[in-house]
Amino acid sequence: MDDRHSDIVIRATELTKRYGETVAVDGISFQVGRGETYGLLGPNGAGKTTTMRMISGLSPLTGGKLTVAGIDVTRQAREVRNVLGVVTQEDGLDTDLSAKQNLIVFGYTAGLSRADAEKRADAVLMFFDLTDKAQAEVDYLSGGMKRRLAIARAFMTSPQVIVLDEPTTGLDPQGRNRVWQELDTMKQGGVTILMSTHYMDEAAALCDRLAIMHHGKILAEGAPDELVNRHAGPEVAQVRVANGARQDVVDWIGNAGFDYRDAGAVITVTSRNGARPDLTGLEGVRVSYRPSNLEDVFLAMAGRTLTDDE
Amino acid sequence: MAATATAYVAGVRLRSIAGIWYRHALVLRRNLLTSAAWYFVEPFVILIAIGIGVGTLVNDVDGLPYARFITPGIIVGSAMFHAIFECAWGGFMRIQKGVFETTLTAPVSTREVAMGDMAWSMTRAILTAVCIGAVAAAFGWIDTVSSVGVLLAAALVGVQFGALGLIFAALSPNVHILSLTFTVVASPLYFLSGAFFPISVMPDWVEPLAWAAPLTPSVHLARGFVTGELGMSHLFAVLYVFAMTAVLFPIAVALLHRRLVK
Repeated sequence: MDDRHSDIVIRATELTKRYGETVAVDGISFQVGRGETYGLLGPNGAGKTTTMRMISGLSPLTGGKLTVAGIDVTRQAREVRNVLGVVTQEDGLDTDLSAKQNLIVFGYTAGLSRADAEKRADAVLMFFDLTDKAQAEVDYLSGGMKRRLAIARAFMTSPQVIVLDEPTTGLDPQGRNRVWQELDTMKQGGVTILMSTHYMDEAAALCDRLAIMHHGKILAEGAPDELVNRHAGPEVAQVRVANGARQDVVDWIGNAGFDYRDAGAVITVTSRNGARPDLTGLEGVRVSYRPSNLEDVFLAMAGRTLTDDE
Repeated sequence: MAATATAYVAGVRLRSIAGIWYRHALVLRRNLLTSAAWYFVEPFVILIAIGIGVGTLVNDVDGLPYARFITPGIIVGSAMFHAIFECAWGGFMRIQKGVFETTLTAPVSTREVAMGDMAWSMTRAILTAVCIGAVAAAFGWIDTVSSVGVLLAAALVGVQFGALGLIFAALSPNVHILSLTFTVVASPLYFLSGAFFPISVMPDWVEPLAWAAPLTPSVHLARGFVTGELGMSHLFAVLYVFAMTAVLFPIAVALLHRRLVK
């Protein structure tokens, strides 16, 4: 199928990656439309980064088919990188060069003339509000600035699609907000964005649609609100319990057929039928309700949290 | 602003190599003063210390005053150190910091990454040869005509040891193992290369080993340009360097690819 002029920009079919016996990505299929922001949400080890690396041409496919703007990633690896901007998980900045030189060298290597690379670097620095850091040593930039510079670099060639692996992991709240703002502006400009994240608030804030990944598979796919409504119901219960009675309470919740997450201070309870979990009859606890979120969806589907390690 | 540079030669995208070379040139420009130490001070001291210091104690060697005898070897040896340092140490750092990975997100192949780095290690080899050659020429230890030949020998060494350096960069799991490149590989090769004494003075069993060592033929070649007595052995030296580079280059590319694309 030729997607060159269609509205599907990324088309992954039965995408598979194995390392020896380990299956990192287990036959996933998804499509990203033009101008869409699509997220892969899942814990560490879910297969998000491997998927991103396959799309970026940094990891050969074990099986399946993958096209970007109609270009086959396996057969035309070089052509794909003409339409794709990639931000890898580590920023990959060149600490021997200034901020602006990082951009110019990348732009020139990617095919811009020296003069165009220089002009584009100025424009991109201005867009990312890094103009006064143009001459700065990369080592002396804050984590948030380095991240924005890495995103700026992917932007040097005006790509149709940006692939972002964990855009805000390791950033402080202020840095995160800045990156979110700029991604949102890029999105308004019509760029197609594929991003991975293990932050459910990030996925909810930025993504039009997302795939929830676990153990190399997609568990569910849809718009954030839709996923929450479908799989976690409108509200979850939060149960506070005195330590002595904890086991009894947990047993009661389990026997009643609810999913729960025991986070120490609070036990979060979701119902499987989309209704608000009814905890009438549970004694000696304080119960409050809050609106459900994507974390609850993941809990309901995978039986564990996004932030637990494998 | 679309990407426009699409010139290819035998499937090699020229802009990839130019971009990597440009990166290295910018780094050199940013660090001009510290680089000057590398390019001038160290070889200058070696040249003076050994050429004059040891030279006053030593008679002519192979018909050359000692300082003239060692100048081509020091030039070619310095070319080796520059090439290895750039590609082994620098290459390892660029792997660790994700700089190569970033380059590969542009329309660049692993082979072109290796070629770009080797183009620069050749450039560094030529630069150091010019710097030392200028100092030696000021002392009258090398003449203009033969220095052109020595420069060529240095350029070949730059490419040959650039490939070798990339192999070490791609193989080393950490800096401790990487450092063996200098202590166990580069330094012994330098002192066994015949740069400081004729190979013929070595014990019989060492002699063939010394001749087979990767730097020795290039020292022989460079010295041939200085004495002006060029023969078949010098042609073999050129062929040896070409053959070795032809073997090392695909290995370097394969190892880099294994390290970067997985």
